[in-house]
Amino acid sequence: MHPILTDFLNKWVYPTGFTGPGVDFRLRQTERCLPLWDRLVMQAIKAAENDLQSGSDEYKAARARGGYAAEGPFMSLKQMSTQILSVSAEQQPKYIDLQRMRARQIWDEVKHGQLHADLLLRGGFIKREEELMDDARANTQPKLSYFGMTAMFPHIHPLARAGQHYYNESMACLGIAATLSVIDDDLIRHQLHSQSADELMHFMEGKYQIDAYALTPEDQRPIEEVFDFLLRPWAPEPSRALGGNA
Amino acid sequence: MTPPRLKIDHNKCTECRMCYVACREIEINAVVVAPTSQHFLEIDERCTYPGCTVCLMYCPAEGSIVETATGRSMVPPPPEVWTENRRRPRIP
Repeated sequence: MHPILTDFLNKWVYPTGFTGPGVDFRLRQTERCLPLWDRLVMQAIKAAENDLQSGSDEYKAARARGGYAAEGPFMSLKQMSTQILSVSAEQQPKYIDLQRMRARQIWDEVKHGQLHADLLLRGGFIKREEELMDDARANTQPKLSYFGMTAMFPHIHPLARAGQHYYNESMACLGIAATLSVIDDDLIRHQLHSQSADELMHFMEGKYQIDAYALTPEDQRPIEEVFDFLLRPWAPEPSRALGGNA
Repeated sequence: MTPPRLKIDHNKCTECRMCYVACREIEINAVVVAPTSQHFLEIDERCTYPGCTVCLMYCPAEGSIVETATGRSMVPPPPEVWTENRRRPRIP
């Protein structure tokens, strides 16, 4: 296991404030995530090393455009709105704190889009953020779980998203740590540091929701189904429209 | 009145409210929003640290919660504060 992952686990994953079925469930799902988290760290390090060896600054723009596609205003508002809409009016009292966390994350995600645009602006790759609206590279990405069709349906269980927070946001944290261990460019480091605490907070949303709320099989099942999908997506290949083979 | 045993370092805190949510959930309610324009979070004398360490387990901002007496950072939480006896049972 890579030391970056071990460090992350000991600092942020394993410490818990509760005992009970929620924590037990989370730790079981964590064991399933470990191999992919470890692989993600290695891939992020390799990608950063390849970028440094590319011989040009284009990788900085490519990273920022990809980040904008994942966290730009359109995607952020769509994604986070559907998360909030997954809690019915009757369930608001029970999940009001969960709603506040998600409302906070709307701001975080839109801000991250701004950070990516900021890198492109200050790096001289664009003159105005509006240019990104017409750039497909800044508006399309192949990730299925967080940003795909499942993001459009608000009827899923209110706690299901906790699985995505836990699994995906941990990878954001690990990816940031891995990239910072390799790349020393000021613009990229500034952008990564600026959003690292937010990404860890999003991970903590998932951790807390599972520990505190996922206490019955009925509440755990939809979260486990999310893990099932994330760990073994049924359509792992990007479509041909996005340059894949599917 | 005994001062709170934990305090928030506002240079590190990102105001994410995880501590507020967690402390409210376990009905201690020791994390409050200060009546300032910045809406900083503060920990008050209702905090039962070191008996309770729940906020430390879900805070994502390294160094943001410290022991008042020693200034020691409790985020991420050192292993000795998330022992079994300090965790709160969560049962259906």
